[in-house]
Amino acid sequence: MVLKLYGFTTSTCSLRVAVVLKEKNVPFEFIPIDLTKGEHKAPGFTAHQPFGQVPYIDDNGLILFESRAICRYIATKYASQGTSLIPTDPVANAFFEQAASIETSNYDPFVSGLAWELMFTMWFGGKTDEARAAHLRTQLSGKLDAYDVILGKQKYLGGNNITLADLFHLPYGAVVLSIGIDEFSGRPNVSRWWKDISSRPSWEAVKAGL
Amino acid sequence: MVKLYGFPLSTCTRLVALVCKEKEIPYELISVNLAKGEQKAPEFVAKQPFGQVPYIDDDGFILYESRAISRYLSKKYQGQGTELIPTDPQAEALFEQAASIETFNFNAFVAPIVFEKLFKPFRGLQPNEERVSELLVSLNPKLDAYEVILGKQKYLAGDSVTFADLAHLPYGTAFYQVGFADVFDSRPNLSRWWKDISNRPAWLAVKDGA
Repeated sequence: MVLKLYGFTTSTCSLRVAVVLKEKNVPFEFIPIDLTKGEHKAPGFTAHQPFGQVPYIDDNGLILFESRAICRYIATKYASQGTSLIPTDPVANAFFEQAASIETSNYDPFVSGLAWELMFTMWFGGKTDEARAAHLRTQLSGKLDAYDVILGKQKYLGGNNITLADLFHLPYGAVVLSIGIDEFSGRPNVSRWWKDISSRPSWEAVKAGL
Repeated sequence: MVKLYGFPLSTCTRLVALVCKEKEIPYELISVNLAKGEQKAPEFVAKQPFGQVPYIDDDGFILYESRAISRYLSKKYQGQGTELIPTDPQAEALFEQAASIETFNFNAFVAPIVFEKLFKPFRGLQPNEERVSELLVSLNPKLDAYEVILGKQKYLAGDSVTFADLAHLPYGTAFYQVGFADVFDSRPNLSRWWKDISNRPAWLAVKDGA
């Protein structure tokens, strides 16, 4: 039975899973969840995903949620096909985990916060908190200075080979660029890295929506 | 011996110390003077480009990001002390799901609350009570989902404790102690789980100082 991905067509977290499925050449069926109708909060959904969030997968009866967990599961299960995304050598694996943690604590809170303040909150009848958005941008800028140092010494965030950690940056990176927050172009190493990862065929295939 | 560069009361430093205790890994804490900004000094930033504690030096191998360090040590010392990351593929996937839940559905709200109510007063700043209220509004439904999950299984990833449970302890304990005990105590399954993990000898050994 083909893997089922339950998500929303342009949801950042759904795209995060989709880019990894493409990178690993794993066929999947996309089942759209209508967030505008609150389908993700309905009992039939929360029975599988108790936080009422997209996406989740059904891989032959194994239900899994949290996009980065799903990505790790796919990268591990299909280790021998497509691009290698999680190194197995202990030292390379440690550097991968360091990069994955950098993404979650030194990138995601700021880019997702900016996406919320400058785009998503309006969809739910909210309005931009300009002071918060400005603060988030300042913080993101500082973090990307550190990224520029790291990426001046190596090609990708975890070393010289691409890993899941690099791909995790794509969905929110694309969203903040689309709303005019460009903290990449002015930093030569970050810019090089961003061009590289965002031009991969796997991302091109999914970035406009599922 | 693992050298842990950190601050005795830092949440992330104590997380690594906790894992060392669970895995029976001897370590030496080398205190970084945060009050004097030692973590932003060039010699420190050369090792940790984000200027954050902790990092480890494991016989010359430098690694930062507390969750990455914890994962590296848990894998390196598999077979010794408590097993913190399962190896069975399905159990590992559920561990990754739990680890992601901790980061995005717990820490994302609890850490900023702790920042407002504990760290800011410590530096003579006033907490932003409006922000704390907003964060609690977001956190409460997440903990309702925890309550559902923990009504079906003993720990967040299944019936055995994993690193995902332990990762809640440093910020969770600060949150509990700074006036939000009732947020956990009012949910029977969550409360049971919290009492269990927060009374582990390894946590008791480091909670007041790494």
